[in-house]
Amino acid sequence: MRKQHIGLLYTLPQILWLLVFFAAPLCIIVIYSFLKKGLYGGVEPQFSLEAYTAMANPNIVLVTWRTLKISIIATTLTLLIALPCGYSIARSRNQAIRLFLVIVPFWTNFLIRIYAWIAIMGNEGFLNDILRALHLTTESIQFLYNQTAVILVLVYMYLPYAILPLFSTIDKFDFTLLDAARDLGATKFQSYIHVLLPNIKSGLVTAGLFTFVPIFGAYAVPLLIGGKDSYMLGNIIADQLTKTRNWPLASSISMTVTVLTTGLVFLIAMRKPREQKQVFDVDPAFLQATPDGER
Amino acid sequence: MVKLRKMMLNLFGLALICTLLVLSGCGEQTKTLYIFNWTYYTPDSVIQKFEQEYGVDVVYDTFASNEEMFAKLKAGGADYDITFPSGDYVSIMIKEGMLEKIDTSKLKNFSNIDPAVLAQCDFDPGNQYSVPYYLGAAGVAVDKTKVQNYDRSWSIFERKDLANRMIMLDDMREVMGDALKYLGYSVNTVDQREIDAARDLINNVWKPNLLKFDAEAFAKSFASGEVWVAQGYAESIFAEVDKSMWNTVDFFIPKEGGPSYLDSMVILKGSKNKDLALKFVDFIHRPGIYAEFCDYFGFPSTVNIPARALKKGESWYRPEDLLHCELKKDVGPDLEKYNAAWQEIRIGK
Repeated sequence: MRKQHIGLLYTLPQILWLLVFFAAPLCIIVIYSFLKKGLYGGVEPQFSLEAYTAMANPNIVLVTWRTLKISIIATTLTLLIALPCGYSIARSRNQAIRLFLVIVPFWTNFLIRIYAWIAIMGNEGFLNDILRALHLTTESIQFLYNQTAVILVLVYMYLPYAILPLFSTIDKFDFTLLDAARDLGATKFQSYIHVLLPNIKSGLVTAGLFTFVPIFGAYAVPLLIGGKDSYMLGNIIADQLTKTRNWPLASSISMTVTVLTTGLVFLIAMRKPREQKQVFDVDPAFLQATPDGER
Repeated sequence: MVKLRKMMLNLFGLALICTLLVLSGCGEQTKTLYIFNWTYYTPDSVIQKFEQEYGVDVVYDTFASNEEMFAKLKAGGADYDITFPSGDYVSIMIKEGMLEKIDTSKLKNFSNIDPAVLAQCDFDPGNQYSVPYYLGAAGVAVDKTKVQNYDRSWSIFERKDLANRMIMLDDMREVMGDALKYLGYSVNTVDQREIDAARDLINNVWKPNLLKFDAEAFAKSFASGEVWVAQGYAESIFAEVDKSMWNTVDFFIPKEGGPSYLDSMVILKGSKNKDLALKFVDFIHRPGIYAEFCDYFGFPSTVNIPARALKKGESWYRPEDLLHCELKKDVGPDLEKYNAAWQEIRIGK
């Protein structure tokens, strides 16, 4: 009995924290999304589904699609870059220094880092200065204010969030398995794809979520780096709240973002228990394809 | 080890006591005035003079648009004493019961305000809740080293040769108002056809030439040479451009006019320092102080008459330039029409 009480006492701060700073605000958003909008912002205490029907607006559908597209591209690129990074850190002898270098950018405020990108890629930025000095171009090339620039900076921003979980799973991986695969006749590439990747799946999933979820709600990067075609859902939410005074619509879009992203997390979490049954996860098709090291 | 831990504990305790002492000292001695104002709108020197004269502290927080200010105040949680809404928002805030009445007879310097400006205060007849702070308008800044021949008109945004070197504010009423004025309509129109015409002009003719819509970093972009033509506020532009380069910048209010704004000082309901807030309002309209404020930003003294003679510096535009401009007013529920048009423009294809 007493032990149970102590357990509750220990978790109490965490429960309180989640209730006050997560559950309660989420409830407010849910409630607001079902109310009528006030003329000058705020809400009227009157049930309405208007905020949800307003989301069928082709403009919002377009932005949702664009946000999804940018998020998927940026997440994929981030993972593609983070994977070799995580691998090389895990295999390196000076892990501590390399990890430290991954974390260093966090010491600078992220807005300052965004402005740094503007200083680098702007029409009068360093990159254009260098190109002009090398006589590769006479006119400035416009790198900024388009979707490509937004994706580039998003990848930069969230790369550490992908490298760290990937590193920690790769670090636990038994590298002798790769040697075993090579002994059984796999090429280096095959051993990575069929032995390494299945075993670090959980790290890949975590890294993917850590990048996809915040990118899906990105606000500052599309605002400052983006141009006329880079509006994302995060910007619409902010605009509805601060400019067009439609709080219910801001809430209903936020709800959609939350439901979509938590749905994704749940889907992945549900799949997990099955994987854990196997000690080493090796692609079965691969085992069949190379019987007894014939090749 | 034990020794070390003890020492740490002692140190921690000492730090705690110090913090408590400092905090309690704060509460008793100096009053604090909480000001919620536009970015670049009251010079630090004016704030410092006020602090010194009255022996108080001033906390100066900023916002970038009326809507942002309003939303933050509506959301609650902030204890501001004074804020600076534009006319349309003064009327909204009066309707919403967010403002404290101001007894203008208690203000020694109220008589310095131009009666012509007071006559424009139809958002608050008789100035029961608001005292005019500044009457101005956004205009267009041109980098003369890059652009030589141009018309001082909104039509500059039609020029394809300046494509991607021009920028406009991410501000619905401002940009829509510019287009409406250019087409010869009122900036406060609620006629759907006129709003649609303005939307099409911006979407099809202006937007393709714009680098982006930006209300946060437009002045930085202009100062760095990123853009050569920027629609925006003179004070923001000249705060970013280096003083030695000021002669290369031409700032004008286009000849067709545009939306003008009259920002007022209001005291928020529930203010804990009403008297001090009133003193601040009066302080601003001292001719010397008002001239200092105008000089700092290169403003013409549009509101305060005696300050006009005391001004030492030049102004980026003249009070007469505002003649063709029209004050933005609250359009009530018809704002939805503007919202829809602006969303179409902003979301982009």
